[in-house]
Amino acid sequence: MQLTAEKLSELEDVAFQIRRLSVEMIAWGKWGHIGGSFSMAELLSVLYFQVMSVRPTQADWDGRDRLVLSKAHGSPALYAVLALRGYYPVDEVYTYCELGGFEGHTDMTRTPGLEASGGPLGMGLSVAVGMALGMRLKENPRGRIFCILGDGETNEGNVWEAAMSAAHYHLDNLIAVVDYNKVMAKGYVWDEMAIEPFADKWRAFGWDVVEVDGHDLPALADAFHRARWVMPRGKPIVVIAHTVKGKGVEMAEFNYKWHTHAPDPATADAMIRELACAYGRPEQGYSKLGEPEVKEDFYGGE
Amino acid sequence: MAANEAVRSAVEMRDAFGQGLVELGRQYPKMITLDADLHTSSKATMFKKAYPERFIQVGIAEQNLFGISAGLALSGFMPFPSTFAVFATRRALDQIAISICFPNLNVKIPGSYVGLPTSRAGASHNCIEDIAVMRALPNMRVADPADAADLRAIMRAAAEVQGPVYFRIARLTMPTIFGADHKFEWGKGVVLREGRDVTLFGTGIMTTFCIKAADLLAADGIAAEVVHLASIKPIDRELVAASAARTGCAVTAENATINGGFGAAVLEVLGEECPVPLRRIGVRDRWADSGGIKELFTHHGMQAEDIAGAAKSVIQAKRGARA
Repeated sequence: MQLTAEKLSELEDVAFQIRRLSVEMIAWGKWGHIGGSFSMAELLSVLYFQVMSVRPTQADWDGRDRLVLSKAHGSPALYAVLALRGYYPVDEVYTYCELGGFEGHTDMTRTPGLEASGGPLGMGLSVAVGMALGMRLKENPRGRIFCILGDGETNEGNVWEAAMSAAHYHLDNLIAVVDYNKVMAKGYVWDEMAIEPFADKWRAFGWDVVEVDGHDLPALADAFHRARWVMPRGKPIVVIAHTVKGKGVEMAEFNYKWHTHAPDPATADAMIRELACAYGRPEQGYSKLGEPEVKEDFYGGE
Repeated sequence: MAANEAVRSAVEMRDAFGQGLVELGRQYPKMITLDADLHTSSKATMFKKAYPERFIQVGIAEQNLFGISAGLALSGFMPFPSTFAVFATRRALDQIAISICFPNLNVKIPGSYVGLPTSRAGASHNCIEDIAVMRALPNMRVADPADAADLRAIMRAAAEVQGPVYFRIARLTMPTIFGADHKFEWGKGVVLREGRDVTLFGTGIMTTFCIKAADLLAADGIAAEVVHLASIKPIDRELVAASAARTGCAVTAENATINGGFGAAVLEVLGEECPVPLRRIGVRDRWADSGGIKELFTHHGMQAEDIAGAAKSVIQAKRGARA
């Protein structure tokens, strides 16, 4: 499947904006996960601007595709792409981690366009299985359920309970996506808990597997096109997207120290400059962060 | 009130549960029953026979059971994920809390085999902390029925509200307290017997024990008020405070641990509204055991005689405080 030059440019821009907004949110909110937000930027761009059938102005449209972010700490990237897709004004993302604003981990009661709430790892695929069963009970043949998991998240037993049941019920309306960025919170996947042979595990659980470079936009578009329209029916499909944690900013790439870490305003500005230059948009290399805030005096500060 | 009459009949709570599922299935086309390989024990099997197309088997995987239920609720269905209470509230607590309660999803959770009667399965299967754990979750409603009619009414009331509900089903045949026209209301208790000397607050199957304790006390010239609080959360604050203010002392009884459970919920209300001498009957910070049902209730000090004894001691404390 070929992407037009115009489409490719749009998807690239969305991936850039996801990263730029994620840095701003995390710096402004003083908390968040840059590495896991950056590794999903192309995935979310392709899903929301090329693959998924959604109506942002009618978010509860019954025929829509649904996406469950099981690795819910990647919320900044998802909040960004939902804003870019038109679910709410972009400025709303700056309420991230503010009292009464968008939650640190996904809270579907606060953010339009979210299909589930989450936080603890390992739980989202079960929710997606329930949605896929629900679509079947409602005799909705078109809607697809997408579920993005982290690689380290698949250490959780609940993931494999869900995987087993999806195959048992032949849920061919379910597409899991693993953001395989090789880095966990405190170390590398192979050091903390080896998950390979990863594709074989999914196959053994009765899934069809597609492996793809998770930062290659045309390849991603092609993989999702195949998963959705071309591959034989009767099985759930997992797209294993090989990614780089922190992709886009050198200091964060492949570096577990940027799993949970909020940049100070100067670092955030530097990150945004680096991103803007890499994407050939130097005019957008400035953040909305402004002057650093005075720290709150609350029993010694945050 | 039927409670004052001789016992007319008795119904296995699990049968009432199965019948309740079928009744709701008839009324609510979006209702789904899910099971984790226990449907003939819980009697969810009755629903499976009546509505096989709306019965989902997930195997022995309780975390998945509750995650799938969240997904079904998000698709507009009303799931009843059925398993033993221990597996729901211990194994899958995170899924119940974050996938279901946090977004306030419309999932109704029956906990089977609660408290002491588990057919000798022992401590691992005696669910004693579920009241404490479930009532700590924001958005969650918690109810424990006294008899079959109460359970059926709670199930109807669960379906009528939007949001998560946890209700308990004891593996026991309970004498009939309520008639078929019995209504259950969230946050409302029922005075089963009026009395001036002491209030016996009961929930679940322990209300029957409270009625028997009131009979024992009556023989000694003590007039005990019996209040049944099936709705543990929300709890009937007004009734709890008003009854305690009237009698001046109270005993609570629950088929569960007293730590953080029903008695603690009553204490919270009385501590804030009307402090009176109070004793709690229930499992006392220890694991339950295998054993015969009568043996177990005696062993854990949860018989009607124990409730009556506790009533006498709080009456004593009340008189001491006034002297």
